[in-house]
Order: sequence, then structure tokens, then C-alpha cells
Amino acid sequence: MSDEPVTGVQSILPEGTQPTPMLPKGLKRVPSGVDQLATEHLILNVGPQHPSTHGVLHMLVELDGEEVIAAEADIGFLHRGIEKLAESRRYHQMGTILDRADYVSGFHTETAFALATEKLAEIEVPRKASWIRSLVMELNRCASHYVWLGPVGMDAGAMAPFLYLMREREMILDVLEAISGSRMMFNYVRPGGVVRDLPAGIDAPLRAWLAIADKYLGETEDLLGGNEIFRARMKGVGVIAPETALAFGMSGACLRSSGIDFDLRKARPYCAYGEIDFDVPLGTVGDAFDRYKVRVEEIHQSVRIVRQLLDGMPEGEHTSKVAKALRPPAGEVYAAVESPRGELGIHLISDGGPTPYRLRLRSPAYYNLGVADELLAGGLIADMIVSLGSLDIVLGEIDR
Amino acid sequence: MIEGTGWLKGFVITFRNMLRGPITVRYPEHKLTLPERSRWAVQQRLNDDGSPRCTACLICVKECPDDVLYIETSAAEGGGKHIDRYVYEIGACMMCGLCVEACPFSAIEMSHEYELATRHGGDLVRVLLQDVDAASPRRERKGEADA
Repeated sequence: MSDEPVTGVQSILPEGTQPTPMLPKGLKRVPSGVDQLATEHLILNVGPQHPSTHGVLHMLVELDGEEVIAAEADIGFLHRGIEKLAESRRYHQMGTILDRADYVSGFHTETAFALATEKLAEIEVPRKASWIRSLVMELNRCASHYVWLGPVGMDAGAMAPFLYLMREREMILDVLEAISGSRMMFNYVRPGGVVRDLPAGIDAPLRAWLAIADKYLGETEDLLGGNEIFRARMKGVGVIAPETALAFGMSGACLRSSGIDFDLRKARPYCAYGEIDFDVPLGTVGDAFDRYKVRVEEIHQSVRIVRQLLDGMPEGEHTSKVAKALRPPAGEVYAAVESPRGELGIHLISDGGPTPYRLRLRSPAYYNLGVADELLAGGLIADMIVSLGSLDIVLGEIDR
Repeated sequence: MIEGTGWLKGFVITFRNMLRGPITVRYPEHKLTLPERSRWAVQQRLNDDGSPRCTACLICVKECPDDVLYIETSAAEGGGKHIDRYVYEIGACMMCGLCVEACPFSAIEMSHEYELATRHGGDLVRVLLQDVDAASPRRERKGEADA
């Protein structure tokens, strides 16, 4: 016997025995003692009411000490049957339920549905309406990214940026409330345009936010990306290879952080995006830090877009004439927008009646969460929270 | 020994934010003004003489996705409609504003009443109009044309 002290698993094994290799992947729920090792795998329930799960997500995690052997996402705690409810709502009423799908960025779901309906019923949208839609969507994207950036900092142990970002988000929500009448449940975008024109005097609060947005976000970047602890927690954690991202149908910042250049605003321009100049930030490694960098840069780009939209806001009507009891001809369409989480699509089937025959919501966060089982296995439990947080999941949209 | 400069940046930025002043107000004493379009509890709009503008056409009732509005009517003595009760279930209302958009007579509006917490469940059902004659649609339209 050598003089070196025996450490780790070896120390608790009977002399001469070798530790068995790790169990194959997949949740086993092994009872104590079955795997020949003296250690017991622990099945840990994370959520559905857990401060680090970003909503009512239930994670079943199999642990070997600190190491995650397997993880399984259990969803459905926020299921309200939005797709089914949509079958009994008329086309102009749909905003009321679609706002509640992705409750962090309601304008994107509303616009996706409006685009689908307009395609189906062949409605022309005035140029101004398109620009207003782009404006509110970009503002909403910033608000959504703020509310991602703050909590992901908290996941890694940083409290201050969260509160600073909430302060800036409040400036955006005040503007959105002045435009639509509600802070989050907007019900503002309708087939044919938007409900009302931009209110008078909206320029001032919007410019006030634009004046500080880049500067304050730069400070947050210093607080998070400029901090060694945050970098250590994010770099190399939750790496998603481009092939994996494609295989799971991921989209949005999660896909772009893996280096794949796909942004619907560029790939299939809708609303005013064809006329606007902006860049699509890309990552290289595909880890949590890349996703952080991509999203922060997206906010900077959104600020750029909002500035252009505000300067070039056209004159004209805010909506075209659309019948209240809209009955689109029978048919099937798909329209998608680039939501803060990725490709948010509405697949709409009409049988010619006053309500959709079927509405299907392609929820980007649902596909992005699909990678979690793959992503978390083999990591540490502390990294699990960061990896999961970096995906930017919104359970309202996943469960629908 | 603390490595790196992240902690120093943190102090500088936190100190800078300390000087930026509060963003909150002392709520019950001080209140923020809501934007004009803010949607809160639905309320009736009345004519200058206190009579309702509502014609009991039931468009708002049919429009509401959550069925929170309910109107009981009967025939008025001199012809036309009589509103027995106009009930508004505020506890189930999501303040989407579709009823107000749909009303052809501008008889209802979204108020700025946002302090809606109550101790009694009964307060969540409001009777907005009770035992009044409904406005005549013709007179109402004419009045709008004069104005």
C-alpha cells in the first residue's frame, strides 16, 4: 500500500474495490444501495415554487453529491388552455388572452397574431401602424431583457443590478402604459393596425429613457460582466453547441449565442424592420456568458432601433378599416415574430367563422427549455441554476 | 487579498446610484398621476342632468370575453327600455377595455380607480345602474350630433 492518503469515493469503499462507472444518462430514481456504491443518489425537486426557477417550473434532478446526473423539466403548472380558449374568442378579442401567454412581452404575441390574421384576411396595414408596432415591440424587448438580466445576476449572486434594471424597466412600462393603457396586459395591437394612435407628448418620456438607456446599461455591464465572480460563474457553463441548438429547434438569443445567425427581423422582415438599420449580435462559444453578452448587445441595438423609429415615425392612419365581426376566409397561415425569446409563431386555421378553428402558438421558450435535460446533466447544482436562468424561460408561454 | 477590480467598480456604481435619488413615492400620502389611457374599473358616464347614457343595447354584455357585465331590463312605462339593474362583477374583470371600445353611445368608460382592495367579497359585484329608464338610442345619437 502506498503512503498517499486515500481520498474521495475511494475512502469509503471496502479496500480493493473500484468505484463503478457513472450511471448511464436518464433519470433512474435508484433506491439506496442498488448501485453498489455506498453513496445514494438524491432526487431533488427544484420548484415549482422556488426562487431560482424563473416561474413555476418543476425540475426533477438526480444528484450525486454536488453533481447533476440527470435532470428532467416538468412543465404545465401554468397551463390555462390558451390555444383552446382562442377557439371561442373573436379575432379582435384575442389580445386579452395572448398577452397572458408571454406575459413579459405581450406585444410580440399580439403582433404575431395580428400578422397571421392579416395574412389570412388579406388586410393592408397602414405604414404608421407597422411603425408603431415595431416601436412598442422593441420597447417591450428591452423591458423583457431587463427582467431577464436582473434575475440572472441574482442567480449568480448579484443583487444590485436587479434593482437598477427594475428602475429602468419602470420607465419603459410607464411609456407602454401611456400608449396602450396597461403596463403589461396591453390589448393594443389588433388585426389591421393598433387601437389608438400614439398619445400626444409620448416623445418626452421616451427620449428621457433613450438618453439614459445606453449609459445605465453600460453600468450594469460593469457590475455584471466586469465582475470576476460573475464571469467565473457564467463562463464555460451551460455550453450549447450549434448542432445541439439546431437539433432542439432553439431560436432567439440562445441560438445566436451559439454562433448561428438567425433573426426573423432580418431573415423575414415584418412591420418596419425592413427599413431600419441594426445589427444582430452573435456569440462564439454558446455558454451562459455568451447568452448574457448577446442579450445585453440586443438591448443596445433595440435602443438604436427605437431612436430610428421615433425620428422617422410616419404620418397617417393608425389602423385600416376592419370589420368588428371579422370573418377571415377558410384557410391556414403561419406568421412569426422575433420575440425576446426567439421565433414566436402563430399557426392559424380558419373555417370562415367569427372565431379561429384552431390556433397554435409556437412558444420559443418551450423549445429552448427542451435542451435543459441535455444541458444540465454532468454539471454542478449551482451551475444548474445559472444555466437554466440563462435560457430565459417564461412559463406562461411554455405552458400556454 | 481581493483579486481583480470588480469589487471597486461595484462600489463606484453603487455610490453613483445612491446620488440619483429615490424613484418611489410615499404612497398613501403621495400618489402618481396615471396616464390618461390607463384602464381600471369600468364606470358609467352620466348626462349632465344625471340621467344615464346607457341605452341597454347589451353590446357591452356580448363583447365582454369574461362575462362580467349583466343587464336586467324590462319595458318602460312610456315605451322604450327600463334598466332594472346594470351589474358589474369587478372581481372577474381584467380591465381589457373591450366593452368601452364597443359601446356606441360612450355610456361607459375606464376609470382611474385603482385602489380596488376590499374586505368584503360582496364589494366585488357592483351595481352600476339600478331602476332607471334607459336612454333612447335615437335621442342619444341626436344629442351627440348637437354636441
